[in-house]
Amino acid sequence: MLKRWILDFAYYLDTSKSYQKRKRFFYNILEDDKNRYKKYIDIFMITLIFISVGVLIREVKFHVNDYLMFFSNYIISFIFFVEYMLRLWVSSSVSKIIVARAEHDTFLHREINLAKAFKQILKVKLNYMASPKAIIDLFAILPFFHELRLLRIFILFRVFKLFRYAKSFQTLSSVLATKKFEFLTLGIFASVVIFVSSVLIYVMEGNNPESPINTLFQALYWSIVTISTVGYGDIVPITTEGRFVATLVIMAGIAVLAFTTSLFVSAFTEKLDEIREIKTIEDVSKLKKFYLICGYEQVSREVARKLSARGSSIIIMDDDQSRVAMAKKDGYTALHYNPGRVDSYEKLNINMDKQIKAVLCLREDDIENVYAALTIRSINKDVFILSLLMSDANRKKLDFAGIDKIVYPQELVGLITKELVGKPVAFEVIHELRSENADVKIDELGITQRIVDNFPTVGDLGNKEFRVVLLGIYKYDHDRFFFNPIDDTLLEVGDYLLVVGYEIFILEFEKYLHTKVRNG
Amino acid sequence: MAKTTALIFGYNKYAHEIMANVVDKYKHVKIYSLHEEDVEKSDGRVEIFDLSDEWLEIRKDVDIENSMAFCLLEENAQNIFLTISLRANFENLTIIAVASNNESANKLKMAGANKVIPIVETTSDIITNMLEKPISSKILHSILYEESELKIAQIKIDKESHFKDEQLTSIDWTRYNGIIVLSVMHKDMKSEFIYSSKAKHHIIQEGDILVVVGYEADIAEFEKKIGSKRYVNWSHWSW
Repeated sequence: MLKRWILDFAYYLDTSKSYQKRKRFFYNILEDDKNRYKKYIDIFMITLIFISVGVLIREVKFHVNDYLMFFSNYIISFIFFVEYMLRLWVSSSVSKIIVARAEHDTFLHREINLAKAFKQILKVKLNYMASPKAIIDLFAILPFFHELRLLRIFILFRVFKLFRYAKSFQTLSSVLATKKFEFLTLGIFASVVIFVSSVLIYVMEGNNPESPINTLFQALYWSIVTISTVGYGDIVPITTEGRFVATLVIMAGIAVLAFTTSLFVSAFTEKLDEIREIKTIEDVSKLKKFYLICGYEQVSREVARKLSARGSSIIIMDDDQSRVAMAKKDGYTALHYNPGRVDSYEKLNINMDKQIKAVLCLREDDIENVYAALTIRSINKDVFILSLLMSDANRKKLDFAGIDKIVYPQELVGLITKELVGKPVAFEVIHELRSENADVKIDELGITQRIVDNFPTVGDLGNKEFRVVLLGIYKYDHDRFFFNPIDDTLLEVGDYLLVVGYEIFILEFEKYLHTKVRNG
Repeated sequence: MAKTTALIFGYNKYAHEIMANVVDKYKHVKIYSLHEEDVEKSDGRVEIFDLSDEWLEIRKDVDIENSMAFCLLEENAQNIFLTISLRANFENLTIIAVASNNESANKLKMAGANKVIPIVETTSDIITNMLEKPISSKILHSILYEESELKIAQIKIDKESHFKDEQLTSIDWTRYNGIIVLSVMHKDMKSEFIYSSKAKHHIIQEGDILVVVGYEADIAEFEKKIGSKRYVNWSHWSW
């Protein structure tokens, strides 16, 4: 009966959407670095840790307010206890283990052995509890029993909890973990040297009444101080034999120090690219809106420069290491990923709908652009894709790949030449308006409800006073442009004014439109 | 004054696009290539030329004063050499050159090209404007490349023009409904925006060019009213 009840309950939890949703929520806020709430939880826990340590330090020589003491001993411990239990809960799924065991036994036509399932649960949970981070978490709760004076020192374990919240500590430990074998070898070497030198110095100096080394512990202390090249000088050998041992220990110390330093340096050098990449991915996932440029060649380089100069965020993705290096040298965030592979976007963990303004396939190679565009389309159907076209014969292929806008440089040259030949001055004027370096610009000013309230018609705008030419109004809803509208034309929310003028005057005019008080 | 002959150097994708767009504007179009196989491919429409050419045949057959040369060779060094060679031989020839990057654009200008089309710069400008200012980009594109009925025109102030000797800012442009005057160009200066401080004190003289935007009928009406005509003068190019 009890067995049936446990099985039913396990199946219920395993299939319950609300239970799984809650569990995922707690998992995300505790363990998932990409979760936006996690950083607030981390900051909260770090604050509690500092309060605890502050109380401990203050308590050494001064009286601490009873409420603060209560807060530190009970409230903080309770919060840590809740956190510990939540982490233990989300570390593995009990219901999944029971369900898996039940299905395994049923498949093999055996009686369901719940004892085995419980054994596995115990093993999995104990494995978690025995992990260094969980042990530190547990010790951090112990100051709860503050009457036991010895346990108060466990407050310091709360400081170790910082490792859990500060990412750089985790990076440091993961980097050093790659050199585990080397550090073990170094540790064994240093231990042997310390042991041998301690025994030697004790044998040489222990019986000399003038020597400060009288016990094996003092010999051990001297060895460690010497080998670490600290050399306090409070204990020094006085016999010739002892000084000879000291010389050997000093030389071994130099070797240990050099070896340790080189280990740290090589571990970091080897992992540096990986650390940087992780950091870049984190930064990218935090960006709100950006252009994703696939490929970094001549046109993309220029586009990146122009977009960047206008204050837009851009991310460059290229599968060629030298081009990525060039993009980084130019000061952009560049990723050495293949834009034509789905896993590149999975690794980046970006939300295409929310984060990407447009994807620009700007490789000077139609095959690569089609490949990248199709990959992106397979992930997201709505994101705006613009692509370069290098050969007109491939236009249909780019269309078929779902590219929204195709730019064909050769065609542009033809059109430009046509205009240049017919109206060189007019061309210059338009070209100037588009150019980023010109003083006179064309701009789009969106019409808001506030503007409509204050300036119901075109005649009310007063753009001429700001030396701004109103080229026309673009009605977004109807996708129509009304050139040089008459003064009585009514403005509507969602319209865009197309204005030409000096940048500074356009800004002034825009400011005036947005700040004018009703009927003022 | 419009040119009558187009000399296209290079037989490639750019040449095809340019030919498709400008062929109806010239009486004669001559295409030259460095490669013998282009001549064969084109059934004799393309003529062969050499970079060390003295241009004797062109000098003999073509009215250089009324010609425009397009330097479209794909090799930057060759294109620059061709430009400098044409300029050295023909002082009054109008030369338009295509440059793949900014560095060669500068060199082509130094070599004597009247106008350089920097492909990378132009393409990136268009892409950036499309993304950041989609509406104005669309409207300017349609005005410039005449995809809509809106047109941009340059109108030269003649001896008889109404505006002659008037100060630019004193003219009431609202009298000319349907058109917008964007800039003015005096023969001694670059085109100036209508509200610029230079243009503000400018007295309109014979030979000035007004750049106006409007519908065809309104531009024609404007021409009639002020007694001036649309005009192309390559010597006014600012570069």
